[in-house]
Amino acid sequence: MYTMGIDVGSASSKAVILRDGKEVVAGLAVQAGTGSSGPGRVLEEIAATSGLDLKDMAFILATGYGRTALPMADKQMSEITCHAKGVFFQDPSVRTIIDIGGQDVKAIALDDRGGIRQFYMNDKCAAGTGRFLEVMARVLEVPLEEMAEYHFRSKNPAQVSSTCTVFAESEVISLLSRGTAKEDIIAGVHFSVAAKACALAQRVGVRREVVLCGGAAKNGGVADAIEKELGAPLVVAQNPQLTGALGAALLAYEEMMRKERSA
Amino acid sequence: MEENIKALLEQFRAIAGDPRKAMADHLAETGKGAIGMMPIYAPEELVHATGYLPVGLWGGSRPVTKARTYLPPFACSVMQQVMELECEGAYDDLAAVVFSVPCDTLKCMSQKWKGTSPVLVFTHPQNRGLEAANRFLEREYAILKEKLEGITGVKITNAALERSIQIYNENRAAMREFSALAAQYPQVISAVDRHAVFKARLFMEKSRHTALVRALMEAVRAEEPQPWTGKKVVVTGILLEPNGLLELFDRLGLAIVADDLAQESRQIRVDVPDGDEAPLYRLARVWQNMYGCSVATDTKKQRGPMLMDMARKTGADAVVVAMMKFCDPEEWDYPIYYKQFEAQGVRSLMIEVDQESTSFEQLHTRLQSLVETL
Repeated sequence: MYTMGIDVGSASSKAVILRDGKEVVAGLAVQAGTGSSGPGRVLEEIAATSGLDLKDMAFILATGYGRTALPMADKQMSEITCHAKGVFFQDPSVRTIIDIGGQDVKAIALDDRGGIRQFYMNDKCAAGTGRFLEVMARVLEVPLEEMAEYHFRSKNPAQVSSTCTVFAESEVISLLSRGTAKEDIIAGVHFSVAAKACALAQRVGVRREVVLCGGAAKNGGVADAIEKELGAPLVVAQNPQLTGALGAALLAYEEMMRKERSA
Repeated sequence: MEENIKALLEQFRAIAGDPRKAMADHLAETGKGAIGMMPIYAPEELVHATGYLPVGLWGGSRPVTKARTYLPPFACSVMQQVMELECEGAYDDLAAVVFSVPCDTLKCMSQKWKGTSPVLVFTHPQNRGLEAANRFLEREYAILKEKLEGITGVKITNAALERSIQIYNENRAAMREFSALAAQYPQVISAVDRHAVFKARLFMEKSRHTALVRALMEAVRAEEPQPWTGKKVVVTGILLEPNGLLELFDRLGLAIVADDLAQESRQIRVDVPDGDEAPLYRLARVWQNMYGCSVATDTKKQRGPMLMDMARKTGADAVVVAMMKFCDPEEWDYPIYYKQFEAQGVRSLMIEVDQESTSFEQLHTRLQSLVETL
């Protein structure tokens, strides 16, 4: 039996196909989110990669900001539930999840069985999110995927505000105009993101293992800054951008099992 | 749903959504105008005894533009809305505005009112438990009474005040009954409707409101209560608006089975006590007897236990904290009762409330996550 999880966020669309609730057949991300060509493209691409199409799916579960705009989905659930499911599936020792997505930062506390004890999200503010990193990368003229390299070269990270993307952008511009090295500014940007994420994590109570997921987790500089800010080891999830879609595919499988049991 | 219930709920919604019409109707019927009552607590009975209509000024849901000139962005959402409405002249028809000042923002707002109506400021004593505090507040109310008499030209007699106290106590009792009834009939009284019944109270003469609430309760009781398949929550905070947010509760099957909102149940929590003392003294006792509110000093911090008790009695699955954006008193209370919730294993979710909001996607995610994890 195949089930699909599709996670349509603000900045990207992700999909995972599972066989029998255990084996990942295919999983991929397209860097275009809700309201764009992203959802359609990710479905086309995963069909091409897996050789399976929507008709082969026993159940499709949607999550992410765009979850309510996907007519092919049988059900939709929140990304908090899906990330928790996906990360716990990968690593049952996880107790705290930090998820940094395009426009959200979330901290999720899990119990020993993977149930959600508590969660916090950032309020209506882009500080500390993937969008914040995109804005900074643009101002600094450094591709997002190269920011980690700069980060690890920094000897003296600059101070960058963690309260507001607009203020932080102005700070970065004035740091640039003062001649501060880009690696120090980038490290400062990553510590700014880390401060925001760790404040949320402290609210739910940090218990090991702590796992980082979401698109920003692909940036090793962000993971390093969070680890230092937390003062505790941090594990980066496998395919961190896909954990929400993976959780959705797992929950889709559970839905089918429930249906079969009640049939 | 029975047609009569629908019609009654529609009346509440119409009044809650159009305070200006409520004021115009009152003027047409009585020849008397309206007096604004700023949040959070004011002795409305005094205004009622003049025959003027007390009208609650709890903000609105318009885009904030003009208020930015006068208020910092970190003033709470209600005050931003009130300032916006002031700047638009929405309150200029009021004969006066009664202003309590239990928080810093209200203190400042009372001194920079931009409307044309006279502002009548009074102070609640912080150390509420003392007899001297009650005497102080009684004196504050006496000054307020004199000012109201001057503005309205109506002498507030003890007999009129006693009658108003009785009307208000009856209304508070009816609303407590309504809140309990709404918890039994979430299929009939949605979160939006429940709020409308409470909100209409801010704009209606209270004996009329009581009569309408009693008619609604009678109609609802005629229906058979149905089992509720969704979840049940207690909500706490200053207020839970706009309706777009309440609609999420309805859409996600979250029944509000009790509230501790300053705009709603905190207004009906404490009656004016009976007794031989003068009515102003007994009115002041309400402040002394108030509990579980972030602006009423409580050295024992009983709000957490109060909320947990509400959840237990109503069978609520969780407490939803409707955190008014930039409300210091509410923010300060939160870590204290959150810790108490955690110690007792009471599930909770904090959501940020901003009356100006038009997009609720983030709140949808939070509330849906809560439902999925209960």
